[in-house]
Amino acid sequence: MSDLRIVHLYAAHMNIYGDAGNVICLRRRLEWRGIGVEVERVEVGEPLDFAAADIVVAGGGEDRAQMEVAADLVGRSAAIHEAVRDGVVFLTICGTYQLFGRRFVTVGGHELPGIGVFAAETLGGTRRMIGNVVVQAPWGRLVGFENHSGRTVLDAGQGSLGRVVRGHGNDGDSGEEGAVTANCFGSYLHGSVLPKNPHFADELIRRALRRRHGDHIALDPLDDYLELKAADVAADRP
Amino acid sequence: MIRLVLAIALGRLAGRLSRLLGRGGSAIPGLVAAKICPTVIDRLVANLPDGVVVVTGTNGKTTTTKLLVTALEAAGTRVITNPTGSNLERGVATVLIERATMRGRSRGDIAVFEVDEAALRTLAPRVRPRLVVVTNLARDQLDRYGELDTTAGHIASALLHAGSSLLNADDPKVAALADGSSSFFGAVADIRHLMPPDDALYSNTGARDPSISPAVEVTTFDPLGDGGQVVGLATQTGSVTVRLAVPGVYNAYNAAAALGAAMALGVGAEAAAAAFEQMTPPFGRGQVIEFQGRRVVVLLVKNPSGLNQAVRLLGAVHPRSQVLIAINDEHADGRDVSWLWDARVEELAGTGHRFGASGTRAADMALRLKYAGIDAWHDADLERAVERAVADAGPGDTVYVVPTYTAMLRLLGTLLPGVPRHEVWA
Repeated sequence: MSDLRIVHLYAAHMNIYGDAGNVICLRRRLEWRGIGVEVERVEVGEPLDFAAADIVVAGGGEDRAQMEVAADLVGRSAAIHEAVRDGVVFLTICGTYQLFGRRFVTVGGHELPGIGVFAAETLGGTRRMIGNVVVQAPWGRLVGFENHSGRTVLDAGQGSLGRVVRGHGNDGDSGEEGAVTANCFGSYLHGSVLPKNPHFADELIRRALRRRHGDHIALDPLDDYLELKAADVAADRP
Repeated sequence: MIRLVLAIALGRLAGRLSRLLGRGGSAIPGLVAAKICPTVIDRLVANLPDGVVVVTGTNGKTTTTKLLVTALEAAGTRVITNPTGSNLERGVATVLIERATMRGRSRGDIAVFEVDEAALRTLAPRVRPRLVVVTNLARDQLDRYGELDTTAGHIASALLHAGSSLLNADDPKVAALADGSSSFFGAVADIRHLMPPDDALYSNTGARDPSISPAVEVTTFDPLGDGGQVVGLATQTGSVTVRLAVPGVYNAYNAAAALGAAMALGVGAEAAAAAFEQMTPPFGRGQVIEFQGRRVVVLLVKNPSGLNQAVRLLGAVHPRSQVLIAINDEHADGRDVSWLWDARVEELAGTGHRFGASGTRAADMALRLKYAGIDAWHDADLERAVERAVADAGPGDTVYVVPTYTAMLRLLGTLLPGVPRHEVWA
């Protein structure tokens, strides 16, 4: 089977919450099934042909790094919109998820431009939403750890990733977590999110393979005992 | 004056009661004393003839402090210092009142305090340290400390109240704190790259500013079979060789920091180096414990850079050792274990060691190892997991235990039964 290309976007800037684990997870789950995988890291200012990518992964970072990333993303906005329309799979976490909305207004009133893939806005808050999160998504339960003060509000009609069962989610009020547009996913879940939620990882892989090959591809099952056990433990921790 | 005397008397009484009730005595006396006399710290440090030295930073505070105290004491100085684990304001207050006369005089020449990075911001204006040593700055328990830039800001504001600073030349976030009164410690280029700063985790930033010329530099480090190492340190007045009881390049850096501080305080390099050899490792910092006929080495990890140091160390020890990594997620450890995915666990795959995972997040750790290509057993019960790792090792073999903070405290009871906590920490 032909290789999948994973792009780890902004690994140097958006790197503080273990989100690199999402790339490790996707790579391994492809390798274990004998599917070739290539991982490319693309940093601020570096060229990237989104059309040649299958899965693009980006994480959360510190405030200063997020500002640099915001400026860089604006320059790539048209290309990213085109890629999302084309069905490229994106997994954006925390700081990058916020910038995939229309804009992020910080507590101090400073406005970071977003690229508007998601019909959503984020407002900086003074209360940090920290802790283990459990979310019910269409393909099952998701368990992760959130740590954000931005409150993301989805427009009516913007699909979410799932309903919050435990924790705060997007804004602590709506009961929604994350956002989904076509194959582009946004979420506040660290942990990293994919290793403990193998069905989510496989959903991303399945969508990428389907885009590449046109029809539905069954993935060989893997032994996910440890993955699900770690998720069970995390779901019950304070 | 009356308030101060009362604060000392009642603070001590509270400590005695707390210990009688079987609780620790490291926080209560300081809290009680500060309630009665809010300036208790300011007033007790004011009569120390040689002032206050503070050691701060993410990793290495405890060992650096202990090395420096050992060198100062060997030179005949009476040192007041806080035990590890009580590095907040109340811990500092507690040790000060315990070492004061009932009339409010400090029985010591100098104080050397290990201080939490966040606590330093408010403590610095009160103790006005003559010297602040900053070991390194790495991301640490983001759910508790917040961002690294914030921590750097705390230390920068603390340095405004300090006489001078001794900074890690090879950690750009620390070196950036320099002002006209700063001096530096570091390592030569061959060794420096073994301890990449946190920023270099995913990028190549972090080269040393070429204009910096460190007062002390690590030039060599050679592991010894007993868990210790021989470290070469170059100073501006010549080189010394130190036999350290603790392993790893990070401890070589700690020795460089402690030597730089000791020399800044007037201790000769040779005398300080000789004293360092007498330092017994603090619990969890590479100490070797005889346990059921095995040698157990405990390496505390708190964050990805600490875990990376442990990974590097484990890559250099005897192959096919038993390794137990114990990850708890209690408040003091940080609830978020995402950081396990930021450490270079993949480097352990080639070591041939046999791995077990334990702690409240045993499954998470086993999962991290699985995705690094390592098949590990797991058992959340710490006592059972240690028994298993030890049983799997041969008699006389070394077992490496890599715990987070609260897992380390629990292991203390298993590995050193009957030894009171304060004796291990002293």
